[in-house]
Amino acid sequence: MTDVAFFLVAGLELLFVLLIIGLLCRTPYRVLVQQPAGPAGTRQDWRAAQERAEALMRELLSEEEYRQLERRGFLEVRSPSRPQRVYRVPRHQGQVKVYESGVPIMALCVQSLEPIPDGDAVIMHKLMIEGNEEEYLRIANRFEPTLYGFIALRPRRH
Amino acid sequence: MAKLRVLSSRGDTVIEWDEKKVALGDPEAVAAVREAERIFEEQRARGATAFVVTPNKPARRIDTFDPNAEQVVMVPRVAGG
Repeated sequence: MTDVAFFLVAGLELLFVLLIIGLLCRTPYRVLVQQPAGPAGTRQDWRAAQERAEALMRELLSEEEYRQLERRGFLEVRSPSRPQRVYRVPRHQGQVKVYESGVPIMALCVQSLEPIPDGDAVIMHKLMIEGNEEEYLRIANRFEPTLYGFIALRPRRH
Repeated sequence: MAKLRVLSSRGDTVIEWDEKKVALGDPEAVAAVREAERIFEEQRARGATAFVVTPNKPARRIDTFDPNAEQVVMVPRVAGG
């Protein structure tokens, strides 16, 4: 009886794993996560938008900035008002990490109300930090660093 | 050529015009600037923020349309996530 139960549970687990693998193979993970909803957001349109955003990023970032983004997965943007501060903008949309003199001090979450491709989000953060830092900080939800990184349990509005 | 770029879910939309032709009163160039200004105001009303982007210089925020800026990029309205 115990053996039957064991095989039944193992069989169900295997089925579940196969189902998950099947789903992941059908839809690229990033498209699944970031594709905007709505009639205008077909997968092809979204791919074209991602390509345009990539081209824009190559045009607006310097060679060095683009290389940093590709190699390290983030773009460092210097604070215009605080000389020791650097913002690390991730390659793919997520929290912007803030460092002062190399020490992490907080993470920020700012996003466009309209879904935009990853490349455009990088440009958005860069422009807002350089040209509108105070407003950017005012809007952002802040997360304090913990022993485990930037995983904060409670976002704090400032 | 001057450019206005608007970031959106479709990627960026671009409108271009030749400032020299605008100064000479070329009807096509003047129409392009007017269209860019209309889009600028429309996006601002929706909460977008505009920045003048110049190579090797930090971005500069603008609140009114500048037809002489080399490139203006408009970022859609943002919120804390």
